[in-house]
Amino acid sequence: MSDAPRPPVHAMDAVERTVSRVLTVGIAVSVVLMALGLGLSVRDGSGIPHGVVPFAELPSGLAALDPAAYLSLGLIALIATPFVRVAGSIVAFVRERDRRYVLITSVVFAVMCFSVLLGRA
Amino acid sequence: MAVIVGILLVAFIAGVFGSMLGVGGGIIMVPVLSLAFGVPIKTAIATSIVCVIATSSMAQTTFAARGMTNMRLGMFLEVATTIGAIAGGVTAVLIDGRILQGCFAAVLFYVAWQMGRRGAGIPPVETGVMPSRYYDPAEGREISYGVHGLVPGFVLSLAAGNVSGLLGVGGGAFKVPIMSLLMGVPLKATIATSNLMIGVTAATGAAIFYGRGYMDPHWAVPAVLGILVGARLGPILAVRLKAKVLVLVFEAVLCVFGVLMLLQALGVMP
Repeated sequence: MSDAPRPPVHAMDAVERTVSRVLTVGIAVSVVLMALGLGLSVRDGSGIPHGVVPFAELPSGLAALDPAAYLSLGLIALIATPFVRVAGSIVAFVRERDRRYVLITSVVFAVMCFSVLLGRA
Repeated sequence: MAVIVGILLVAFIAGVFGSMLGVGGGIIMVPVLSLAFGVPIKTAIATSIVCVIATSSMAQTTFAARGMTNMRLGMFLEVATTIGAIAGGVTAVLIDGRILQGCFAAVLFYVAWQMGRRGAGIPPVETGVMPSRYYDPAEGREISYGVHGLVPGFVLSLAAGNVSGLLGVGGGAFKVPIMSLLMGVPLKATIATSNLMIGVTAATGAAIFYGRGYMDPHWAVPAVLGILVGARLGPILAVRLKAKVLVLVFEAVLCVFGVLMLLQALGVMP
């Protein structure tokens, strides 16, 4: 590689740390669940299943080691991650006593939840 | 098996370019999934939306750690993009989808031209608004900047959110030029911040698609896994490459997006 001086390491602030952690954990959980689901579908010899498992049937599907349930939960974890990221940012801004951004981020979270509710109807 | 390998590969490429440029790459996934793999269009859109989330989340592991993402600017503009996305349904009633896609294509070509003309050369200004700095390895120095043009940036982000809510894609392709050309944000910070923002609108869209039963793990899971690997690599390239090179790639990808949109507007392609 080059012999350029090593770049300075960036010290993350509270918000950056929160966002990074939430996203990293979200990806990890999602990948583990998807890997489990893929493993189970290989064991069943069924190929990757079609169709997601409805929310209400997830617990029974997981208990029955249904590959579709694990893959569905993996996708749900992935989809939930940005919601958790925004919610986590609100907490981080509260800790930093940055009222303006507590408000801004809360509006974003509220609009996200509202649009999901609106889309369901 | 060949199908799965094919999707992994396409998703990997979409992940690299999407995360490297902050545009998500969903717009490439939709036609490829529906034309090459025969995936129903709604399922293809649902798949591309979860891919955008995966790109967004994965890219931050590189960008946030380097301080390139302007968190406050991202949160501020997310207010506009999420509200704009909600209003997408209203716009859909008012304007015909084909006409909208045609306009979208025209704007993409215009933006590609403007980015090429000015994108890499805008000097950062210390305005004191949402100040941020990061180390750019390609330049070998720290870049420090402030944001300006908050009002026009916010208004245009409403429009960007509106379009992405409508067409399911394309938010990032507008967010990058808005921040870069209008708000004085250096290109790499723009790409990093856009990458963060696209996850939010995509997540609400994905939740709705999931609820309506359009999500299909058969396509979504291999696509997500491919995207994740690509989105690990893309930001590393974005960090290392010179802004001039990134602008060239950005222009090329926008032109591809524009042609795809035009073909959709003309009804040649789903």
